[in-house]
Amino acid sequence: MRKLFNLALGIVTSIGGFVEVGSISTSVQAGAEFRFSLLWAVAAATMFLAALAEMAGRVAAVSKRSMAAAVRERFGFHFQIVPLGAEFIIDTLLLTAELGGAAIAVKMLTGIGFQWGVLPLGLVAWLVLWFGNFTVIEDGVGLLGIVTLSFVVAAWQLHPDVAPIVRGFVPSIPHHDLTRYAFLAVSIVGATVSPYLLNFYASGAIEEKWTAEDLWINRLTAWCGMGFGSAVAMGCLVTAAIVFGPQHLKVDTYEQAAQMFVPVYGRWAVALFALSLGIGCFGAAVEIALNAGYVLGQAFGWTWGIDKKRRDVSRFVAAFSVVLLLGVGIATIGFDPLRVTLISVALTVVIMPLVVLPFLVLMNEEEYVGTHTSGPLGNGLLATLTVLGALMAIVVIPLEIFGG
Amino acid sequence: MDVVRDVLDKSVIDRNGREMGRVDGILVELRPNQPVHLTAVLIGPAALGDRLHPAVGRLVRLIERSFGVDQDRPARIAFAGIDAIDTKIRLRMTITETAVAAVEQRLRSWVLRLPGSR
Repeated sequence: MRKLFNLALGIVTSIGGFVEVGSISTSVQAGAEFRFSLLWAVAAATMFLAALAEMAGRVAAVSKRSMAAAVRERFGFHFQIVPLGAEFIIDTLLLTAELGGAAIAVKMLTGIGFQWGVLPLGLVAWLVLWFGNFTVIEDGVGLLGIVTLSFVVAAWQLHPDVAPIVRGFVPSIPHHDLTRYAFLAVSIVGATVSPYLLNFYASGAIEEKWTAEDLWINRLTAWCGMGFGSAVAMGCLVTAAIVFGPQHLKVDTYEQAAQMFVPVYGRWAVALFALSLGIGCFGAAVEIALNAGYVLGQAFGWTWGIDKKRRDVSRFVAAFSVVLLLGVGIATIGFDPLRVTLISVALTVVIMPLVVLPFLVLMNEEEYVGTHTSGPLGNGLLATLTVLGALMAIVVIPLEIFGG
Repeated sequence: MDVVRDVLDKSVIDRNGREMGRVDGILVELRPNQPVHLTAVLIGPAALGDRLHPAVGRLVRLIERSFGVDQDRPARIAFAGIDAIDTKIRLRMTITETAVAAVEQRLRSWVLRLPGSR
């Protein structure tokens, strides 16, 4: 019974934790500029993420190693330094963008200037990490994040035609701006398949002491949680498509994006959008900072864990504190969160082959997954993802320049 | 035993099961007409830096010196001090008998000043 409760909670928190600055911005832009025709990219990216999360969870449950630890041990430091360094940079940029997104939400709600919002948000995030435990952080973030279902409700209330939505799940060539279309498709993948999500998920499995007996929970949480979570991103895309699509608007600010809620929620539109954006971004900021502690602790072999006494994990505490400080510092200087998001998303795509490739090896070694090695289907999927990831890594920078 | 596969980059734990870090380097002794003699494992970011490039190792040592935590680092654990090698490297000694804990202890002294650290 308790396991079923944990499963339900895990799925609910995955939904709540799915939406953050990257998925909101890419979904809104995709819907506004190309209506429903990029829904397939959200679906494909979600499958990509769910498959990798399930595998990372499997390695964690069976071998008690997260991906960062397994990659260091199996491939050595010379291999790891590249994805590790890149992940550190991406996490810092993404953290900056999330704090920026949350500060913009605070500005929408209270009128307090963007830069003034970042400092207290950073402090609250640190206090949550300092005093919280894994359950409080994961479940708190996830349950509050249920407010993001307002994107799905908005899409539903706008009574969209079903046929064009269904057609959106089939990749198609657009009638205009092919480069921009390809750029947004790749960005959606980069925003969805964040390396931090994979390592955070695996670290959570270790924090919650999953074993090989919990692999069915892992499978259901990864596929259902991420699947339902992507419904929120799709709701966001569909709402933007219906409200902004007819005018082919290019959405450049979150204030502009908030207007998509007006036809459904009227005078509550801005407040509800700001709450969804703010909670989604703040939750992600806490998780990204925590993940920085996890990744560094696991890669370098420190004692780590948010459920341990802080005095026993001082290097882990220092790691998440420093990354949070860096994020707050960069956000305070005043970089545009949307631009920072796009840069971190592009970098995510560039290192994707190096993130995916180790899975192909680890999922076939008994030392890491016991008897639960990948079958032909899993290996085929991973090989496909590696090739796709490599192709996207090659095209993302030109696309960012010409279509971003 | 394949030292690179079985020892390098593996997690190291002390006699009491405390995580000490990872094997960041291996020290070998080369003697004429004799097989390579494994002397010790190294734990510490300076050894890791040396593996990337000597300049990185020097930079790490400089940072450690500026924080006053460079004494006896990177920690050198003689091969004889290793109790068992499986998925982890298990030592016969405790972490406090080595210089591994210097950074942790320095950071702990700061962490302990904050409320809720215990």
